Amino acid sequence: MLQCIITGILLGGLYSMIGIGMSLVFGIMKLTNLAHGDLMILGTYITMVVSNALGFNLVISTIISVIVMCVIGFIVQQFLVNRVMDKGEAPALLVTFGLSIFLANLMLKIFSADNQLLTNKMASVNVITTPVLSVSASYLISFIVAVIIIVGLALVMQKTNFGRSIRATSDDPMAAELMGVNTKMAFAAAMVICMGITAVAGTLVGSTFTFYPSSGTQYLIIAFGVVVIGGMGSLFGTLIGGIVLGVAQLLGGFAFGSGVQMLIAYIVLLVILALRPNGLFATSAVRK
Amino acid sequence: MKMKKQNLIILIIAIVVLFGILPAAGSNNLLQMVTLMCLYLAMSQMWNLLGGYAGMLSLGMQAFIGIGGYTLTILSVQFGVNIYLSIIIGAVICALFGLAVSPAIFKMSGVYFAIGTWIVAEALNVFFSNWKFVGYAKDWSINSVFGMSTRQLYYTALVVAILATLIVFVLLRTKTGLALMAIRDSASAAETMGVEIYKTKLKCYVIACFMMGLIGGAQYMQTAYINPSTGFSINWTIAMTFAVIIGGLGTMEGPIVGAVLYVIITQIMYNFPGMSNIVLGIIAIVVILLAPDGIMGTLYKKTGFQILSPRRSIPKVGETKAAE
Repeated sequence: MLQCIITGILLGGLYSMIGIGMSLVFGIMKLTNLAHGDLMILGTYITMVVSNALGFNLVISTIISVIVMCVIGFIVQQFLVNRVMDKGEAPALLVTFGLSIFLANLMLKIFSADNQLLTNKMASVNVITTPVLSVSASYLISFIVAVIIIVGLALVMQKTNFGRSIRATSDDPMAAELMGVNTKMAFAAAMVICMGITAVAGTLVGSTFTFYPSSGTQYLIIAFGVVVIGGMGSLFGTLIGGIVLGVAQLLGGFAFGSGVQMLIAYIVLLVILALRPNGLFATSAVRK
Repeated sequence: MKMKKQNLIILIIAIVVLFGILPAAGSNNLLQMVTLMCLYLAMSQMWNLLGGYAGMLSLGMQAFIGIGGYTLTILSVQFGVNIYLSIIIGAVICALFGLAVSPAIFKMSGVYFAIGTWIVAEALNVFFSNWKFVGYAKDWSINSVFGMSTRQLYYTALVVAILATLIVFVLLRTKTGLALMAIRDSASAAETMGVEIYKTKLKCYVIACFMMGLIGGAQYMQTAYINPSTGFSINWTIAMTFAVIIGGLGTMEGPIVGAVLYVIITQIMYNFPGMSNIVLGIIAIVVILLAPDGIMGTLYKKTGFQILSPRRSIPKVGETKAAE
């Protein structure tokens, strides 16, 4: 029980890493990126390819993956999303859906449907090992990285001019533009940051769980769940959302068997969605 | 307007004759292809009713395909119920299930709705994968449909397709259709005028769920085996969405054109395994970027051509968001 809760909280850190990019993009662009999960898995595969092919260690591979994903994020933003942003909700949603289909099947074509795991030393190491409690190093590292990134991002958003311009764009694009903010650049910056964080999340996911090309759907739903529970666009809400989902999943698995733990997480998510359609901790102005 | 009605009658007669003589004239291959077209046509027509007319972009309609397929399997294989009766029972179960989840998912709108419905489908996938009675995630062959002729499958699919088209055609010309278009154009204005938004949407949703169940049953009569990950696969929704996007969201002709194109493209891509969805994804993105109204929507804007869609104004895809 205690084990479940502790592991759930740590897993929640990983989940919030997955969700934070989505939350950022939604908060700023009001765009739900249905390709988010697939983009993350793409990041995982890039890390895998770089570390396998060039023999770099995981940290360097992750950095390369982050750079590549930032470029991809910029391209996606510039050539796809920016063009449909002003056409309403449906085209934007469907474009990212098309991208999701494209990416998932492209990865399937290139990497085949085999399960993969980023081999690393952390997965098998336990930081704490007692009869009642054991904490895996990879979970702990995920959690710590998540907290660092969320705090760092929050500081950037609050304290720097860059963060202010992004928040201004988020609040009122037109007013921000009149004040001299390049909103298209702010959007692109948000997407690039999102993709960078997502690439890190991808590496963490890939070194904790097995993954395959169609894992994207599962992680999209997790990301969405995290963001919905935490409130779209709220950074610290994302962390709490991740923890709620992680604990719910593991407690569900504890009570009903590990096969149905995702089912429990989904049901918790649906119930929360039905009761509080704008999230448990929607701090910023409610936007649909 | 008179001209239009005449055209419509001629068209219907031509289509009936064409589909009537097809089993006699065409090869088995062609027949199978047309069967697929009919099924995808029915699916897209229903998806379009929700996405194009009712402003509910659902990414979870595969839930009902799966339920329909599994009901057919369980009833006909396990309990020896008549196949067609099983399909109809499956559709009823789908309608009831749709009704049961509606209080939860109808609280959501826009993208929340899209992903909410997707989560329902994924939850069903996990549930069926862990259900001992259906053999967990293993393939289950539907041996009750084994000796069915291609012609029989074709007629079933044809009936389903005609039913789906007819339902949308009639529905859009009733008060409900008027209400739907009013909601699409301006939700708040419609509500002020006394349109019951919730009820209208629920009606469409339950109808679509019912039809999806029928289609799922008819589909699995062909496939003849089922497992959770294909039954509840997002690929069903990909197919519907794709057909509607390239055909034209919010037009009645769009899903027909789109479904035909979808089947043709997948048949061509059949020789390049794994490429089909990649190509479909690219085509869908390009169509949204270049012609967001789809083929029929663009055609209508340019030439005013339409046969089936009732329309009082030029539809804009973006306006579906107003109908949340």
